[in-house]
Amino acid sequence: MTSVMSISAAVLQVTSGDLTTYLYIAFFGLLFVVQFAFGTRLQSYFAINEISRGLNKLRVMKDKARKDAIDYLVNVGKAQADPTQRVDQFLDYVTIMPVDIDPSGLVGKIDHVVTTNNDRVRAEVGSLLNQNNPVTVSISENLLEVATSLNQIHKIVRHFYLLGKKTNSYFTLVQLQMLMPMIIQEADALLNATDSFRMGEPVGDGIGPVVVSRFMAGKEKRVIAKDTVMAITEYKGRKLYVLKADGPMAYVGQPGVAIQKIVSEMGVKPSAIVMIDAALKLEGEKTGEIAEGVGAAIGGIGVEKFQIEEAATKAKVPLYAILVKQSILEAITVMRKEIAEAADKVAEVLNRVIEEKTKEGDEVVVAGIGNTLGVAQ
Amino acid sequence: MMSSVPGADRKSKLLVYTIEECPVCGQKTKRAFTVGDYITKEASKCPKCSNTARVSLVYAESAKQSG
Ligand SMILES: [Zn+2]
Repeated sequence: MTSVMSISAAVLQVTSGDLTTYLYIAFFGLLFVVQFAFGTRLQSYFAINEISRGLNKLRVMKDKARKDAIDYLVNVGKAQADPTQRVDQFLDYVTIMPVDIDPSGLVGKIDHVVTTNNDRVRAEVGSLLNQNNPVTVSISENLLEVATSLNQIHKIVRHFYLLGKKTNSYFTLVQLQMLMPMIIQEADALLNATDSFRMGEPVGDGIGPVVVSRFMAGKEKRVIAKDTVMAITEYKGRKLYVLKADGPMAYVGQPGVAIQKIVSEMGVKPSAIVMIDAALKLEGEKTGEIAEGVGAAIGGIGVEKFQIEEAATKAKVPLYAILVKQSILEAITVMRKEIAEAADKVAEVLNRVIEEKTKEGDEVVVAGIGNTLGVAQ
Repeated sequence: MMSSVPGADRKSKLLVYTIEECPVCGQKTKRAFTVGDYITKEASKCPKCSNTARVSLVYAESAKQSG
């Protein structure tokens, strides 16, 4: 008897004493089950919330860019009629890229489509404005391009957001959630660019043109390709063919066509082609740092790069690059002091490259690549 | 997993300056940027030798830096 009683008492004691322990176990057990069964659903819920917040930000940004463009067309461009409807049509205009299943000759086709689009943009902007100041027209083009990009970004993010929600696809949503901070950063850079463009301030991308404009100042300039000018000058016995887009308009010009013309049509036999351009820095790298290299230093869709590489390869001319590091934000907004002050050092590097890689009596092509807004020659 | 979308990167306010340089004596003057300024544009007379200066640089620095 006594032994039975003592056992049951012991059991009771255990039960009451460790009730909290059991509760703990039950709690964590439940948590485990919830996590197991509803974990992804919970994560999806958080992802949806976060994406929708980001999407809202993108919507505000693209609306602001659109409004900025319209305001500029009306206030500075003195558009006759209300340009709102035309601008909205513009934002949804599509450029259909050529088919790439038969890649031979593809670059020429891309060039054709892109050139057609650029001409159409300029013609449309020209017809909207009640003046033909080329700076104003080029700024309007750029503002509309920024607004179009932001419109596209917003549309694509919204597409995947709605698709993920509709199909309850955890992975679509989580991927989008992870990309969101980078997308917002890029959109923010674009929106900031509109401020610099409206003011006509040189942007970070214009560092190449800034450097070569010093070589062109006071020399006779001639148009060598669409929106692109060239001057012939001399440095320590070398004949320099210096080119950049025609500033102070917000042009990037056609350096590829220009270099092809110099090498093939003008019969110039350069012993080097030196290109100066802005380059995206990696996180942690300093803004305004200078890097040297070989190859065609030019961004964009690839047409210009192809043309330059082809011209250089055909004529067996080495391509040298001088790059100024900057972030995407710094490249498309007003030029930072660190970048502007790199101009002197870039000029020194350029002189050294010319001295080291060529001899007296040689011909050298120097190209300043980038947007020449606010940088004349 | 619950990383949050950062707000639009709040940078310190940027002030934009135009640097005028005299091609003869190299005298540099720094003034606030005005719309219509561009690099190589003819600017005011050089305070030292009264030759016509030209805009040599346009750049921005943060308000904090310039004091
Ligand atoms: Zn002077």
